[in-house]
Amino acid sequence: MSIKEFITTIPVNKISLKSILSFEKTATNLLLAAIIVTFLAMFAIGVVTYLIHGHHAYNVTREHPWGLLIAVYIFFVVSSTGLCIVGSLGDVFGFKDYIEISKRAIFGSIVTIVAGFAVIAFEIGHPVTMLIYNVLTPGFTSAIWWMGTLYGLYLTFMVIEFVFLLKHDMKMARIFGLTGLLVGLAAHSNLGGVFGFLNARTISNGVFYPTYFILTAFITGIFLAFIMYGFRYKLNFTESGKKMLTNLAKIQGLLISILIFFVTWKMLTDVYGGMPNRAEVAVHILQSWTFWAEVILAMVIPLFIILKSSGSNVVGMFWASISGMVGVFFMRYNLVHDTQLKPLQTLKTTEYQLVPTWVEYFPSSTEIMISLGGLGLCMLLYYIGTKAFNLDDEHIEHKA
Amino acid sequence: MARYGMALDYKNCINCKACETACKEENGVLLGADKHRIWVGVKEVEGEYPHLSIASQTFYPSQCQHCEDAPCQDVCPTNATYYGENGDVKVDPDKCILCSYCMNACPYDARYVDDRTMTVDKCTFCTDTRIARGETTTACQNTCPTKVRIFGDLDDPNSEISQVLRQREHFTLKAHLGTKPKLFYLV
Repeated sequence: MSIKEFITTIPVNKISLKSILSFEKTATNLLLAAIIVTFLAMFAIGVVTYLIHGHHAYNVTREHPWGLLIAVYIFFVVSSTGLCIVGSLGDVFGFKDYIEISKRAIFGSIVTIVAGFAVIAFEIGHPVTMLIYNVLTPGFTSAIWWMGTLYGLYLTFMVIEFVFLLKHDMKMARIFGLTGLLVGLAAHSNLGGVFGFLNARTISNGVFYPTYFILTAFITGIFLAFIMYGFRYKLNFTESGKKMLTNLAKIQGLLISILIFFVTWKMLTDVYGGMPNRAEVAVHILQSWTFWAEVILAMVIPLFIILKSSGSNVVGMFWASISGMVGVFFMRYNLVHDTQLKPLQTLKTTEYQLVPTWVEYFPSSTEIMISLGGLGLCMLLYYIGTKAFNLDDEHIEHKA
Repeated sequence: MARYGMALDYKNCINCKACETACKEENGVLLGADKHRIWVGVKEVEGEYPHLSIASQTFYPSQCQHCEDAPCQDVCPTNATYYGENGDVKVDPDKCILCSYCMNACPYDARYVDDRTMTVDKCTFCTDTRIARGETTTACQNTCPTKVRIFGDLDDPNSEISQVLRQREHFTLKAHLGTKPKLFYLV
């Protein structure tokens, strides 16, 4: 079979602008449509501002070179890896209860990473140069090189897996799904390594982030599974859906408990470990509201909902998952900002300049617009996907 | 091949900033881009009046340390940061993608964005300018009125820098990080 013939056999619904614009005009749908349009308009304004002013449109500085866009990129790729893990439960590992979400989760993993790439393209100063010299003169000692290259491969495998899922070819979907999952996990732990390798930044240096990223990816994937299912079934879940979500909630309870254990020990060792430049940064983090937003929204609220109902309150978990995703955003923002909190030059360099205690940063309007634009793009692509593909196929015939 | 380094008799520094001015002139650093390639750190007078420690006030001229194990080179995804043939750490602006990872990884805050090329730049020990023209001194060294700086080949036992490092105690910044800086502060 030629590639052209193969492509023609992929089941895709014909979509037009008219079909995209035709949706049930409920208040929620209209609100979501307005949000998507607004965010995309902000994306356009943000990108144009960036193209005119370059990095001067951002509030990043020499002391704080990574800002909101890096955090948002991480947010999206963590979401992608998480959805890939959730999607793999059914079609790669063969847990039958989770097969019904495989296609939706894998499609979600594709749109989230595309949104992540769309955002990072406006943070990297020379994205075209990157594509060229990533290949011509690869920096094998760089975690960014491994992360970027592996994520590129991961996206390819995810697309191929999704195509085979659409074609109900479970054998091939499993092969590409497993490969994509392994490559994705490698890419994602390398993203943690980007921070873990920084010996200049003792708060981030070490093995914590590469492992923590995988754990939080799984947690993020489950939050997104609840959100996608909640919107799909308007909170009136099917019996099989309810069963699957209850099981996912139980897994989530365990994962969040492990996360709380990890973060507690990270903070304890940071604060009481006595490492220079680490303890005081950790104390500063503990005093920031964004850290507690992360803890309360992504850990305490979802865990409370899960424990109170033993995971059976799936509607409650939908709302807790929205809270969780806001918390996950703060988790990524904190990771990026906290890494750069401690100034590296601690001497005065001008007569009347005070030595900075902490490096300050707040994102510019351009950074905020591009970030929200990434979210709008992600939502739009997902919506188009629900029109173009049958993501609900619950009874996949096994060819294998 | 040489192994370039610099010794700083930092207690002679009078914070006149002639080095920074000469560096800008020589290497085309933009006006207003202060403290970019090189700078002078000021350690404040310690104590409270009238018990002030005059000896505590010191000026620390600083710049890229040209580490032998440079974290900025390790993290560069496109090898835009590389070791020159004389052990100096350099940047190829054609390969730099401005991911800023090197700025985050450098423990000495020695990297900055050059607004002319929109790439990350740093001190080059004047290897692209004065040294390439056959001079034996860097711009900052040449202009220093109190002769704070001694630049030269660390592998040449007869070079001034090798002799002074043999004769005088010295330290490097953040030596515990294992980056093996080639900027030596003489004490």
